[in-house]
Amino acid sequence: MDIRLTALPAICALLLLTACAKPPTEQIEAAEKAIKEARESGASTYVPEEYAKIEGTLAALKKEETDQESKFSLLRDYGKVEQLAVAAKNEAEHLKTEATKKKEEAKTAALQAQQVAQEAVKTTLELVAKAPTGKDRAALESIKADVEALKASLNQVQMAIDTEDYPTAQTRAKAIHEKSHAVSQEIEAALAKTGKGKPAAAKKK
Amino acid sequence: MSSHCPRATWAILGWGALVLAGSLSGCVEGVPQDVIEAVENIDRDLMDLRAAEFSPSEYAKFAHQWMALKARVQADEDLIRWPWEPNSLEIALRRLQEEGVHTVSRLTKERESLRRSAKDKIARVEDRIRTMTLQVSAIDSRLVLGQKPVETDLLMKQAHAFYEQGRYDRSLDASDRAAQNLATQAAVLTSELGRYANRDRISRWQQMVKETITWSRTHRTSAIVISKADRVLTLYRNGQKVLSYPVRLGFNGIREKRYQGDGATPEGRYRITSKRGRGQTQFYRALLLDYPNEDDRRRFQLAQKTGQISASRAIGGQIEIHGVENELMAQTLGCVMLDNPHMALLYDRVDKGTPVTIVGALHEQNSVALTLATLDDRREET
Repeated sequence: MDIRLTALPAICALLLLTACAKPPTEQIEAAEKAIKEARESGASTYVPEEYAKIEGTLAALKKEETDQESKFSLLRDYGKVEQLAVAAKNEAEHLKTEATKKKEEAKTAALQAQQVAQEAVKTTLELVAKAPTGKDRAALESIKADVEALKASLNQVQMAIDTEDYPTAQTRAKAIHEKSHAVSQEIEAALAKTGKGKPAAAKKK
Repeated sequence: MSSHCPRATWAILGWGALVLAGSLSGCVEGVPQDVIEAVENIDRDLMDLRAAEFSPSEYAKFAHQWMALKARVQADEDLIRWPWEPNSLEIALRRLQEEGVHTVSRLTKERESLRRSAKDKIARVEDRIRTMTLQVSAIDSRLVLGQKPVETDLLMKQAHAFYEQGRYDRSLDASDRAAQNLATQAAVLTSELGRYANRDRISRWQQMVKETITWSRTHRTSAIVISKADRVLTLYRNGQKVLSYPVRLGFNGIREKRYQGDGATPEGRYRITSKRGRGQTQFYRALLLDYPNEDDRRRFQLAQKTGQISASRAIGGQIEIHGVENELMAQTLGCVMLDNPHMALLYDRVDKGTPVTIVGALHEQNSVALTLATLDDRREET
């Protein structure tokens, strides 16, 4: 009888402790914040599979939390929720680092391609100035229109970089470089044939 | 009898041991490892398919289920389960595996279909570009299109690059934009050169030519008719065709002349105002025309008034029919150019005052009209 009386407060204390089990709000919020930051750093674009999984983990965590909340208070256990929240936070932080790294790599590649394209267009413009103006005026005017189009396209590369669409910026810049190179070769071939001949004096037409 | 009893005992003990062993193994393994590995393999397959980019909602659905079950697998590791208890986790994993296999199979087919679409689209648009380039070149209208052909070219290069990267949706998008650009080019050509297919305009040109020939017959003298679409100069004498020579026009000659420096060759009724022989022209021989005439001035002033031509532009002049004296001037800035032997013959057969009628085309089935019709026919194909 004495033993039962002695054990009673301990049992009550244990019951109270269990009844007080609360969801690990701080850890959940930390995980959500980390996932949001990962998304903002471009994880859904640069590490899409991992990002989808971490969103899955967050959903699983939320479901577990809801499941626990639906249980009788004395039987609630948020251990698994806490474990998932911690894992999600760590993974999200890792994804943020990975995405930032990949995004930076993409940006660097786009900027390099942009620079190469700018130089190629500049070279082509210099060649246009030397082009034999009289030999085939239509071809020259056509080349001039081409180079103007290439110059205008460089703005599109910049716009793509500004909107962080690095794959478009890079492919566009590479396309400009290729086309610019082709136009330069065309002019060089014409120069090789005719030399730097000057056309007849300009006249009204 | 005594020999049967130990055998029955051994049999019972044997069965008991088997049941115990089975029970014990059931207690240890919550979910068979092979199911987990199978789902992991499916995830890898989906990643190889770039499912998260290609079909994000599909992959998200799989990833959510997989992560939820993975969390349960981790939590279930310490659970003891009796073999006769249904393993709901294993059932769910097997269901996910089954669904995953279907998803991989379907996405593989869809991706392959997208790849083929992207490849076909590139081929179709490139074929269209080749045809259009030839057509545009045949009627010397490249300059009419301005910067658009380069835009199309750049888009196709992007379409190729995205295709090589396996980004078929982006490749398709670039090809689509290139096809739209081609349609715009066709529209520009139709708008700029539509008069070559305009019956009323052609009738007017035909009337101008008819009157010029009648004048030649009535006045028993020479008259020149030039058709820009055919690039042909015809000399009439007493209303009869005497000779016909191919000509080259201005570098933008197919267009209607609007202002100085546009490279277009004017259309209208002109007269030779001056014959320039050796030493009087930079070319072999030249016949100066009275461009701009009253009609040209009226059109030009109206265009400036309505803002179609900037006020700073001039109307131009010095339009001639000439030979090729200067090798560096193989193409004219708006004149009509003949080979020197032809120029020599023509020069001797005309005088100051000879009428020169320059028209876009002589008949409805002219090369420009036919090209425009073909562009219209093919516009829907890409």
